[in-house]
Amino acid sequence: MNFKCRCVSSILGAGLLACAWAATTSAAVTAAPAVNPAKPTTAAAPAVATDAPPADFKTLDQEVQGVKKDVIDLNKDLFVLEEELLFPANTQVAVFLSMDVGTFFALDSVTVKIDNKEVTNYLYTAREASALLKGGVHRLYLGNLKVGKHELVAFFTGKGPVERDYRRGATIAFDKGVGAKYLELKVTDRVPKHQPEFMVKDWE
Amino acid sequence: MIDLSPRFGTRRLVLAAFLAICLIRAVPAPAAATLVGKDAPDFALKGRDGKNLRLSEFRGQVVLVNFWARWAGDARLEMHALEHINTTYQRAGLVVLSVSVDEDLRRAREFAQSMGVSYPILFDTGSNVGRDYRLEKMPVTVMIDRAGVVRYLSVGFKRGDERAYLDQIRELLRE
Repeated sequence: MNFKCRCVSSILGAGLLACAWAATTSAAVTAAPAVNPAKPTTAAAPAVATDAPPADFKTLDQEVQGVKKDVIDLNKDLFVLEEELLFPANTQVAVFLSMDVGTFFALDSVTVKIDNKEVTNYLYTAREASALLKGGVHRLYLGNLKVGKHELVAFFTGKGPVERDYRRGATIAFDKGVGAKYLELKVTDRVPKHQPEFMVKDWE
Repeated sequence: MIDLSPRFGTRRLVLAAFLAICLIRAVPAPAAATLVGKDAPDFALKGRDGKNLRLSEFRGQVVLVNFWARWAGDARLEMHALEHINTTYQRAGLVVLSVSVDEDLRRAREFAQSMGVSYPILFDTGSNVGRDYRLEKMPVTVMIDRAGVVRYLSVGFKRGDERAYLDQIRELLRE
């Protein structure tokens, strides 16, 4: 946290310095023509007469434009950094688990992998499983993810039909945007096949 | 003849204090002892009967958690003592949880089966719970009060230690 704060403050400090420098440069440059027309000097007269700005002014103007562009780019980067570091809620990803009926499956544990890295392995007690069957929703995992494409794999273990040990997986590839991402692992009964069904739902 | 001059006396005092500090530092307190007075780290483990148990579900009851391994200390002696405590104080609101930290699950199960105790035996094969409780030596017994705070922690077990356990349990049950 300290490191992040230090990073942000140093980046913001650098940005402010750059802005201040750009502002003073542009102010100095814009101030010069503002003063000149009001009090035309003899030295400026030949320049006005020829109607063509000297080469020095041209390069200076190009430099100013370049600096302005740099400042805009830097501001953009700063904004993105600020979003990423100061507002981690935007990088948030939450995984929930819900169960419907549960006739064909007695839940024992759930393992969640995101991008092939195990992020949680949760053992459910009988009390927790019964709470899920009553309509409860359990937040299995809360973490941060970068913007972009990711893959979630969930492994469910428990007792299937006829008290058999049961292990199944469910996968979802999702796109993490700027906002928080909510994913729901859902265990339902597939009555015609007398089998449980495992789904992953992406809450937009 | 002993020199009792003030200068010599001060030097002796300083030396004695230095030696005392060295001795204290040479016998460090077990790492698990730092948990006393803090919330007991929660855990969920699979039991001998295949059911999962979570420590936090026993909040409101006094919990005795005993970490053991087949190879450490007199596990049988301690288990018999805990069985006696469990049958006596279960009705008063005591919960005894036994956690095996054996890596060999099959042999730990066999051992637990041979003991035939009535309280739950859980298996921490991944040693995650052992890490949370900073276990360095075995066995370790942790007394957790009704609020879920670690109140007492004992490392090792010898005949007669159960009397200290009983005193602690009675005190916690009275609260």
